[in-house]
Amino acid sequence: MADTALATRATGASDRAVPRRGGSRLSWFGMPVLLAVILGATYLWVGSLELDTIERRTLNAEQLTRSTLEHLHMTAVSTAIVIVLAIPLGVLLSRPFARPVVPAVLGVANIGQGVPSFGLITIVILWTSLGFWPMIIGLVACSMLPILRNTMVGLEQVDRTAVKASRGMGMSPLQVLLRVELPLAFPVMIAGIRTALIINVGTATLGTFFGQGGLGFIVYNGITLNRTPVLITGVVLVSALALLVDYLAGALGRLLAPRGL
Amino acid sequence: MTTTDTLTQADPARSGAKPMIELVGLTKRFPGTAEAAVDGLTLTVDEGEITVLVGPSGCGKTTSMELINRLIEPTSGRILIDGKDMTHTNPDELRRHIGYVIQETGLLPHRTIAQNVGTVPKLLGWDKARIAARVDELLEMVGMDPATYRGRYPKELSGGQRQRVGVARALAADPPVMLMDEPFGAIDPITRERLQNEFLRLQQQVRKTIIFVTHDIDEALKMGDRIAVLRNQSHIAQYDTPENLLTSPADDYVSDFIGTGASLKRLNLSRVRDIEMATDAPTASVSAPVAEVRAALLASSWTSLLLLDAAGRPARWVTSRDLARADQGAVLAEVGLPVEAIVEPHATLADALDELIASNVGCTVVVDGSGAYQGIVDLETIMTVVRTVRDEYERFHLAQKLAQQPADGQAR
Ligand SMILES: Nc1ncnc2c1ncn2[C@@H]1O[C@H](COP(=O)(O)OP(=O)(O)OP(=O)(O)O)[C@@H](O)[C@H]1O
Ligand SMILES: [Mg+2]
Repeated sequence: MADTALATRATGASDRAVPRRGGSRLSWFGMPVLLAVILGATYLWVGSLELDTIERRTLNAEQLTRSTLEHLHMTAVSTAIVIVLAIPLGVLLSRPFARPVVPAVLGVANIGQGVPSFGLITIVILWTSLGFWPMIIGLVACSMLPILRNTMVGLEQVDRTAVKASRGMGMSPLQVLLRVELPLAFPVMIAGIRTALIINVGTATLGTFFGQGGLGFIVYNGITLNRTPVLITGVVLVSALALLVDYLAGALGRLLAPRGL
Repeated sequence: MTTTDTLTQADPARSGAKPMIELVGLTKRFPGTAEAAVDGLTLTVDEGEITVLVGPSGCGKTTSMELINRLIEPTSGRILIDGKDMTHTNPDELRRHIGYVIQETGLLPHRTIAQNVGTVPKLLGWDKARIAARVDELLEMVGMDPATYRGRYPKELSGGQRQRVGVARALAADPPVMLMDEPFGAIDPITRERLQNEFLRLQQQVRKTIIFVTHDIDEALKMGDRIAVLRNQSHIAQYDTPENLLTSPADDYVSDFIGTGASLKRLNLSRVRDIEMATDAPTASVSAPVAEVRAALLASSWTSLLLLDAAGRPARWVTSRDLARADQGAVLAEVGLPVEAIVEPHATLADALDELIASNVGCTVVVDGSGAYQGIVDLETIMTVVRTVRDEYERFHLAQKLAQQPADGQAR
């Protein structure tokens, strides 16, 4: 019950600032500078250490690049799929004829959000097999809700009078959707996409437990081998990646947001 | 119901005009509601006329409008536009040919003013250059400088400007028929008044067939060629000209709705252009020599003289005392009083009276569309009109009573 109540609130719509064009220079350049400083400092710190062979097996350019790329791959594919699935589904569910099924669909999507990601991916993999695509299915299930919910809330909060005026001027329902409703819902929808992206970057860390590598591999190595530099490098890379991806999504949202809102 | 029918049909004033919008028994019952929101609305609007639907909140005005452009599909009844049955045509196509000003303006916030105004032309597939030219023409028409406003977004406009854009947008594709749902609703009385006047002037040029909704009887009297006073469920209590509505309300409901001050309201029905204004007021150019100005003032029976600027627009009122000051070196354009009370010929006498009372000199200056001086309306002029109107109506009623008495006698 609590979950359904939650489902009506747009993720990030209120607490994550809706993207705006312009903004101060700090908001545009603050994050890249911060990330560069953190990564540079970590690099210098690790470089100043005497690494043993175990550490060197993980902390080398090739391994770090491979893990980062694996991580990005999982994130990108899962996010792309979840966008392609959740936005049309959200649009469909926001049409009047779909009203009766909305609670059921949101309930299912809530499971993805509510069940711990590790458990969810395990269930998917038990159902299917170990592999890249089962991992992606798990990620998609975990990040479905924010986009779905924000698409619905975004469309719902579109000014009814704008819609009615558009219909009154002779736009077809499809034209109203494409030219009026989606542009006006965009800021809320992009907030949902950012949230999904963050979830996917974070959850992809679990990929290592299912043979998919990613930056989780570095972190996990750091823990099991009891090597702090490895652990810290992994954690810094994951965090930096998450922040960078969120920053890029935010910037993109600002640039694409319709003016005049 | 029967009163409705006889009222709409047995109306000699309408014979000869071409009906443009005909509503026949239009009914809408929303699912799950006990009574119909609109029940059997039958109404004919002649070409080039403004028909006002006026009634209390919730009586079904908006629903009636949305039935006409089929934003709401009628439960039963028919809609004819220009003689063609529109009840089963493609509604999107239909709406592109009916201008619609919605109650809350409904501008698209993510589109510029130019894009908003150009919406319907774009749907109709006009080319870019034609749309751009039309947008500029319309912005000009509603009194907004195209260069300043075309690139703005709705949130960058004031409420009154948004309403103008809403009107411009509805006019964009030059539709023969317009539906205007409280187009001058939520704005201050002064701006509202101005928009009403501007719209009436516009209507003189464009001659659209218009259904205009308001819940304000004064606005109805001012805007309407014909007024339908509605009860609940869009039942027509009376469908008549403003004059008849004021002089012979059909029942208590209508006279209650008109409220008190019917004779004052009649001032809303006479326009400045229809009355004889004073044209003998002395005038002179601001750049004329003071002596010449004084001569003009002395030659008249007036105590003040109206100075006009180079374009013939009223500049200042001056008395002989002001002229004396000008003799001592004051600039003519700075002595005397500024001209505050100015109306255009299509303004109503009520407007003129209003200006007059608020003005500093006790008369209202009439100017033409370009602001050039035309004449003067003073209290005397207005009182004359009121008196003649009253006399005429009294004579008319007396005649009607006399004519009815024998007929009543025969019926019994
Ligand atoms: N979609 C709807 N479903 C059910 N009832 C409705 C619907 N739309 C309007 N109504 C009802 O129909 C009646 C007429 O509403 P309408 O909006 O036409 O009033 P109105 O005369 O325009 O009022 P106002 O002056 O406040 O704008 C009201 O009682 C309203 O509650
Ligand atoms: Mg209404």
